[in-house]
Amino acid sequence: MRGEIALTLRAPLDRPVDASELGLTRAAELGAGEIARRTVRVAGAGPVPLGELFEVRGGGPGAERVRFAGDLGQVEGLGAGWEAGELLIEGDVGRMVGARMKGGRIEVRGRAGWGAGLDMAGGVLEIRGDAGPRAGGAPLGAKRGMSGGEILIRGSAGPEAGAAMRRGLVVVAGDAAEGAGRGTIAGTVVVFGAVGPAPGQWSKRGTIVALGPVEPGPTYRYTCTYRPEYLVLLLKHLAERRGVPAAARYLSGSYRRYSGDLAELGAGEILAWTPS
Amino acid sequence: MKIRGVLIEDTFAEAFTMRAARVVITGATPHWAMAAALKLTGFATSVIGCKCEAGIERELGSGETPDGRPGVSALFMTMSKDELPKRLIERIGQTVLTCPTTACFDGLPQAPDRVGVGSALRFFGDGFQASKVIAGERFWRIPVMEGEFLVQEKFGMLKAVGGGNFLILGASAEAALAAAEAAVEAMAGLEGIILPFPGGVVRSGSKVGSRRSKTMIASTNDAYCPTLRAVTRTALPDGVNSVLEIVINGLDAAAVSRAMRAGIAAACREGVIAISAGNYGGKLGPHHFHLRRIMADQA
Repeated sequence: MRGEIALTLRAPLDRPVDASELGLTRAAELGAGEIARRTVRVAGAGPVPLGELFEVRGGGPGAERVRFAGDLGQVEGLGAGWEAGELLIEGDVGRMVGARMKGGRIEVRGRAGWGAGLDMAGGVLEIRGDAGPRAGGAPLGAKRGMSGGEILIRGSAGPEAGAAMRRGLVVVAGDAAEGAGRGTIAGTVVVFGAVGPAPGQWSKRGTIVALGPVEPGPTYRYTCTYRPEYLVLLLKHLAERRGVPAAARYLSGSYRRYSGDLAELGAGEILAWTPS
Repeated sequence: MKIRGVLIEDTFAEAFTMRAARVVITGATPHWAMAAALKLTGFATSVIGCKCEAGIERELGSGETPDGRPGVSALFMTMSKDELPKRLIERIGQTVLTCPTTACFDGLPQAPDRVGVGSALRFFGDGFQASKVIAGERFWRIPVMEGEFLVQEKFGMLKAVGGGNFLILGASAEAALAAAEAAVEAMAGLEGIILPFPGGVVRSGSKVGSRRSKTMIASTNDAYCPTLRAVTRTALPDGVNSVLEIVINGLDAAAVSRAMRAGIAAACREGVIAISAGNYGGKLGPHHFHLRRIMADQA
């Protein structure tokens, strides 16, 4: 790709690396030399120049993409605060990838650890593999999480996907573990596979769209079966712009609507696709 | 200049700058989309008495609408940018929100000026409404007895052209009407234009002001009334016994010009003596559509 910055892992990592203070937030920002001098924190070793861990090539003005190659499962906070351009991670990545992301696009071609897109505000975070717990969620102890943007998880999601989200969209092409959309203030979680226990628990508003099996909790109440027109727009958007196609039966079908969490504000909903 | 023996007068149509929105209505069937569109664009012939001018642009197939259902595209025009959202809110609120199965979308997504429509209509939801942002656009879901009414929060607003026109000067009422019908048929479905009058045709063209009343802003265009030929400064050639006008509003001057060309070409038929146009001496409207330039290669 024209104007790419390529970072290739020199040797497998044997301990956690904290990249959340790396300050690499856009593709066209820095040259290879400057990036190599930026430091990450290696557990037990303190600040270490990125160039010691990665071979850095390319870069400079006009760079459109930053590409990391290697198993980055030990790297935390990569892409934190990402603002513009594309960040491509060719393998697995550790905790909090794309945390506080504001714009641009991050693609993880492997799995992502805990808190992917934590506190995200904009842009698109795509995870080709599975995502760990609390993807698109709020930092622990925080009242509000994701406030914008889209997270696409092509595998399955761990517990509490979209927890306490305020706005935005979390899409899980596989299954979502327990507590999806827990405590949401608004926003949307779409699950193509099975939805785990207690979806939308303690949510004030927000939507969980369940295209697969779902069991709403006791604080959700069935209201009606209907066809929410906006859902067609959302599913068309995912198919046409995000490459996540929905079968025709989801576009033309009916949905059972459950209101909840009635122990909270009760303005949230679970929309469960139902075969006609 | 003559086309098939019909004189094209050396004159021009004078048109005004207006503000326009395109409203896309979808429904479960073409019938319901059209039912809403007909009500939405009803009583919207002229800003003189209706506060806005509106019409159906064309029917849309399911592949052309945001939600994949059959739809109708309508254009809305007002004289000022402040008027446009008012008219959209009251009309969509009374005619589309109320119509079974319909949803309402902005048809000018590229227009940089945006006016709030769904953002006002949402209050009908009495606090039960909810919004969703999809691809950067906010949509309001308003609960209604049928289920849910979906309306886009903001609609694009463009500067547009209102009042493009031509006059069909017929030897008889029958000939003028047949020519007008042919012209309307030729212009039907052209993108970016509407014909806001009934069936696309006006029989009561107006002049500015009144001979008798200072408060009237428009009155009958006596120069083109055949019955007044002997008592007023007539503009009618000999042999003309009926005049009908086609008024064309468009999203831009090029769209109006294309429509005039198609309409005039179709109107030049047996029984039509001349084609003329309404203007105010070029002093009021910035858009001038010269008939002979528009029809230059048709003679």
